[in-house]
Amino acid sequence: MTDLSELQRWMSDALTRRRAVERDPAQVAAARARFTGNERVAPEAQLETYREQFWLRHTGALLEDFEALAHVIEQQAWERLVEEYLAAHPPSSFTLRDLGARLPEFVRSASWLPHHSLSADLAATEWAYVEVFDAVDSAPLDPSTLAQIPEHAWERARLLVAPSVRLLELDFPAPALRRQIRLGEDPELPARGEAHLVVVYRGSDRNLRHERLDRAEFVLLSGLARGQALLRATEAVIALGPEAEARVESELGSWFGHFAARGWLTGVELA
Amino acid sequence: MTRSRLGLPDLGVGAGLRVPHYRDILQRQPAVDFFEVISENFMLAGGKPRYHLEQIAERYPLVQHGVSLGIGSPEEPAREYLTALRDLADRIKSPWVSDHFCWCRAGGTELHDLLPLPYTPEAIERVVTRAKRIQDFLGRPLALENTSSYLTYRESSMPEWEFISEVAERADIGLMFDVNNVYVSAYNHDFDPYEFVRNVPHERIVQIHLAGHTNLGRYLLDTHSGPALDIVLDLYRETIELAGPVSTLIEWDEDIPPLEELLAEVERARAVRDGALAARARRSALGLDASAVPARPERYRIVREQDTRRASPGWKQGGPREGVAHEERS
Ligand SMILES: [Fe+2]
Repeated sequence: MTDLSELQRWMSDALTRRRAVERDPAQVAAARARFTGNERVAPEAQLETYREQFWLRHTGALLEDFEALAHVIEQQAWERLVEEYLAAHPPSSFTLRDLGARLPEFVRSASWLPHHSLSADLAATEWAYVEVFDAVDSAPLDPSTLAQIPEHAWERARLLVAPSVRLLELDFPAPALRRQIRLGEDPELPARGEAHLVVVYRGSDRNLRHERLDRAEFVLLSGLARGQALLRATEAVIALGPEAEARVESELGSWFGHFAARGWLTGVELA
Repeated sequence: MTRSRLGLPDLGVGAGLRVPHYRDILQRQPAVDFFEVISENFMLAGGKPRYHLEQIAERYPLVQHGVSLGIGSPEEPAREYLTALRDLADRIKSPWVSDHFCWCRAGGTELHDLLPLPYTPEAIERVVTRAKRIQDFLGRPLALENTSSYLTYRESSMPEWEFISEVAERADIGLMFDVNNVYVSAYNHDFDPYEFVRNVPHERIVQIHLAGHTNLGRYLLDTHSGPALDIVLDLYRETIELAGPVSTLIEWDEDIPPLEELLAEVERARAVRDGALAARARRSALGLDASAVPARPERYRIVREQDTRRASPGWKQGGPREGVAHEERS
C-alpha cells in the first residue's frame, strides 16, 4: 500500500471512532505526527472537526429517514441505536439515500429498544417510504387491458406490480403514526392490535400514500408482487378459508380493478 | 495556448437548485441564467427528484456538480457510479461535470465528506491519472474544485494552488474555482487568498462558486449559509478580471432563504461580474494585457472575529436531500 493510502485508511478509522480525538492520548499523538495545526487549532482539533462532522452528517441523515422511530424511542435510545448501527454497518454507498437500508433488520434484533415491536414496525415502515419515494417510474396498467386477456390465458398470466409499491405486515398502525409524528404531533402510542396489512405506494401525483388491505387482498397482491402467476396467487387466497374462497368467486374482478386504479399494477405478462 | 474556459460556454450567473425552491421556480420562472444540480441527488431511479429535474431542465440550462467522486481516495471511483454520472450528464446535457480535489472513501467506508489531500507529488500522480481516465469516460470536460479545508498535513510540500494547478495542467481538465473556499482555507490556514487567486491557470476556470460561510472565530466553516462576504466578492472581482467571463454560481445550503433573497444574491454577483468585465475591457482597449490585473493598494483583509449568528452544526453539500423528509411538509 502507498503512503498516501495508508494515511487515508488511518484517517478513515479515526473519523469513524465514537470518542473525541482529544480524549484518546494515542490518537492525539498520532494526529500531531500527521497534521500541523496552527496557532488557533491544534492538530488533534483539526482531525476532531472532521470526526465530529462524520457523526453529525450520518446521524442527521438517519434522523431524516427515521424520524418517527427516533421520536418513539426517544433521544437516549436513538443515540445508542444509531451509534451501534453505524459501527456495525459503516456507510458503504456513495449516497446517503442508502444509509438506512439495514436499519429495519438491525432494529428487529435490538431487543433492548423501548417499545421494541412498535419500533420494528416503524423502522420497516419508514424504510418502505424511502424506497417508494424514488423507486423506478412505471406506467400504470390500463384497466381495459385486463378485460382483453383471453379466457384460456388467465391462469398462467402474471400481473406485474409497480416497483413503487411495498407491502407491510405489521402489528401496529405504523404508517398513520409515522404521519402524525412527521406533522409535528405527539400522538399516544397505539396498542398492539390485530394484524395491520398495509400497502405503501406512490400515487400518480408522485405523493406517497398508504392504504390498509384486508387479508385476502393482501395475500393476492403479495403473491403478484412475488411474481406468482394468477392461478397460484388466487389459490393462496382460497387457502385462507371458505369465506375467502367465496370472495374470490365474487370479488376477484373488482380487486384487480381496485389495484389497477391505484396504480399498483403496471403490466400483464401472458405465459 | 489554452482557450479561455477551455472553449466552454459562459452561462452567466446562476444558482444551485435546492428543494425548497422547486415550486417557485416552476411557477415564476425567474430570470436565472442557469441552475446547478447536485449529481447524487438525481442519480436515482424515479419519483419526484427525476420529475422535478425534467421539469426544470425544460426551462433552464443545467450543469452537474458531484460530491461523491472522491478522486483522490485509495480506491478508484466505482464503474457503476461513473456510469450513472455519465447517464445523468447525457440526460440533462450538462456541458461539463464537476467534483472536488478531495478523497471521500477508504477501506470500503464512505465518509461522505470532502477530505483534503496532502499536497504531495504522490497525490498529484494519483489524481492526474484518474482525472484523465474519468474525463475520457464521461465524454465531456471534467472540472475539479478547490475545497474548504480544516486540516493541514505535515507531508504537504507545496501550497494548495500549486497542487491544483499542476493537476489541472497535466490532466488537461478544468477548474471549478470556489472563491469562498479560497477565502475559508486562507483564513483557516493563514495564507493570502489573493496569492491563490493570482496563481492558478485562469484559462482553465470553467465555473466559479460563490457562497457564504460561518465564522467560528478559531476557524471558518464552509456552511454555504448567508450571502458572500465583501472580501469574497472582491476576490471574485479579481478572478473575473483575470479569467474573463466565467459561469458563476451561488451556493446556498443552510438556512435556505426564500427564492427572492437567493435571486438578490445572484444579482449582487452579476453586478460585480459586470464591473470586473468592464475593467478588463478598458485595459484591453488601452492595449494593456487584459490578464495583468494590478494589485489594488487597498485590499480587503482577513478579519478574525466570530459571527454573532448561531454556530451552524455542520457543513452540507448541496443542501437537504430531496427525500421523504419533505413529503408531509411540502
Ligand atoms: Fe463550491
